[in-house]
Amino acid sequence: MLLALLLCYAGFTALCLSTDRHHGELLRSKPSPQRRLGWRASGWLLLLGSIWPAVAVAGWSQGLVEWCAVLMLSALLLVLLLPYLPRLALSLAGAGLLASPVAAFVTL
Amino acid sequence: MKEGFRQAMAWLHTWVGLIFGWLLFAIFLTGTLAYFKDEITHWMQPEVQAHPLDEARSLAVAQAYLQQHAPDAARWFITLPNSRDPGLSVMWQDKLDPGKRGNFVQKVVDPVSGEAVLARDSKGGEFFYRFHFQLQMPHPWGRWLSTLAAMVMFVALITGIITHKKIFKDFFTFRPRKGQRSWLDGHNAVGVLVLPFHLMITYSSLVIFMSMVMPAPIMASYGADTRAFFSEMFPATDNAPALGQPAPLQSLVPMYTQARAQWAGGQVGRLAVNNPGDVNASVNIFRAGSDRVAQDFGSMVSFNGATGELLRVGGGQSLPALIGGTFYGLHMGHFATPVLRWLYFICGLAGTAMIGTGLVMWLGKRQLKHARTGVMPYELRLVETLNIASMSGLLIAIGAFFWANRLLPASFAERSDWEVQAFFIAWGLSLLHAALRRGRRGWIEQLSCAALLLGAVPLLNAITTEQHLGVSLARGDWAMAGFDLTCLGSGVFLAWAAWKMRCRMAPQPTAERALGLNLTREAR
Amino acid sequence: MKSKTTLPVSYRLAVTSRALAAVFGGYLIASLAAVCMALWLPTSRADAVVTGMMSSFVFYLLAVLWCFACRTAWRAWFGVMLPTAAFATLAGVGLWMART
Repeated sequence: MLLALLLCYAGFTALCLSTDRHHGELLRSKPSPQRRLGWRASGWLLLLGSIWPAVAVAGWSQGLVEWCAVLMLSALLLVLLLPYLPRLALSLAGAGLLASPVAAFVTL
Repeated sequence: MKEGFRQAMAWLHTWVGLIFGWLLFAIFLTGTLAYFKDEITHWMQPEVQAHPLDEARSLAVAQAYLQQHAPDAARWFITLPNSRDPGLSVMWQDKLDPGKRGNFVQKVVDPVSGEAVLARDSKGGEFFYRFHFQLQMPHPWGRWLSTLAAMVMFVALITGIITHKKIFKDFFTFRPRKGQRSWLDGHNAVGVLVLPFHLMITYSSLVIFMSMVMPAPIMASYGADTRAFFSEMFPATDNAPALGQPAPLQSLVPMYTQARAQWAGGQVGRLAVNNPGDVNASVNIFRAGSDRVAQDFGSMVSFNGATGELLRVGGGQSLPALIGGTFYGLHMGHFATPVLRWLYFICGLAGTAMIGTGLVMWLGKRQLKHARTGVMPYELRLVETLNIASMSGLLIAIGAFFWANRLLPASFAERSDWEVQAFFIAWGLSLLHAALRRGRRGWIEQLSCAALLLGAVPLLNAITTEQHLGVSLARGDWAMAGFDLTCLGSGVFLAWAAWKMRCRMAPQPTAERALGLNLTREAR
Repeated sequence: MKSKTTLPVSYRLAVTSRALAAVFGGYLIASLAAVCMALWLPTSRADAVVTGMMSSFVFYLLAVLWCFACRTAWRAWFGVMLPTAAFATLAGVGLWMART
């Protein structure tokens, strides 16, 4: 579940950065159309990709349920962090991505 | 036309949300607690010792106990201990004239000594579980009301989605410290971000009681023989009747082993013995719900109790049965591992918060119009009282339930009923208090009271038992320690909430005017 | 929403009417839709009944939404009674066919 969590959180952060409002808040610049597309694509890829580690460990039925739970909770965590600790929110995403190969190695 | 539609849906959302919000808050909060009902029961009955699991021995012990204490019962039920519930639970139903429901008697037996455990009598976590769909009402009215509430919840969710115009634009938006705007952002956040859970839990609760609330198709398709439908869906109810000829019951242990072999090592959840001591005794062995996500009501292995012969093995599920079973299984969450169980709990709290923020906003929006005069019309005062009592009052009641468990003497015969009485008395008192001490004062006082009751639970535990945090953490008894720590955490959160309310409250009456102006500014 | 002037009686009657149409008419539609599915679906008897019951709540929801989205209370009742008649006919045919 940990790897799925890291990927989901990073994915949601990317999707968040693809919006004008939050990109402006977090990175203090307006995203160009290519940037926006890039963030959106990587966000969706990360979210969809996070299904695989969830299902690989626990099978399809349990895995999908765990994936849904992780999806919802990572979104909730991001949205609660954004207004209070925006830099922490961003760095968690980055750190999570960096840590995912380790998490993959340990759990899969 | 589209504006009209959205407005109509917003109106519907607001009004059904208000009228059923108080009930739904209680259902959601107690239902969320029910995900940890075994752990709550463990804390409320600290005398029940956890032993290393030996299912065969437990089964033999249970059979011996039932043979000794209930040889003439109509049915026996045995629930084996597992990692979450260390108790070996036996239950029997007294024999009565046909057509009448016999009394159920339940006991917890020590799986080593074979004696009934002398634990303090308590409903434990089961109280929250049963309350959230039976609402302490006589059968079947509570179930009807809670299922009606579920249908209303479904309407509220869908109308909420329709009303939320910027559902994707505002997906990540949460702006704290902006008054009514923040409450709306929060309501939307816990609503939208956890939407899959909310939709699942609501629709599955409808499916769970669908035979009761939507019986028309059963009657249309099966006519007078509705029993046939239930026998097909729930083969556990389709048992051979007693012949009246006595025959000793075979040992259950080899049947248990055979059943597990049928499931390639799957876990046994519970056993039901029908007409023990009769020639036609039947033993139904049910698979543990924790084995898979979808609940399979047909997955049982049946034996003839007198001969030990294998009668039938429940087969696979059809697609509709699988879908129904999946709804059931997802709602119950039996299959959840500890981490997933905590996620279920958090999602449940999010749902509870969604309802709570909605109720607060309903009142807050309308209170603004009367802030300048400081006098609220009767209807708004009623809503305010009900808001306070149904939310902070419920939390006080939950705290009182736990305190009653520790303070009532263990040998007191009716203590189980009195724990429940304490819950309702505390809730009633909080309603009275909310009616008398309206407004922020009521909130602050009740939140502080709840914070005190729940936050002091670890201390209470330490004073009244020998299983305080120091002991439970050292022993690795995570259920006991987790309960203490969660209560402590809730207490801290509620204390913070009370403090926040206090800070916002106008210190002198002359500042009420300034407060009114502030509120109107925040509303924009 | 709350003003010094109270809402007119006709408004309150209309809302009550819509609510009754939604609660009782909706239940009728849901039940009849479920009955139709139970009688007409080509699967086994139990499966058809289960499918009918599980889907009935969606029909209930749609009926409730219609009752409050349409322009007048009369339309609410009309919009509920029409599908009810249709489902009742289908169900009646289904029952008659099952009997013969």
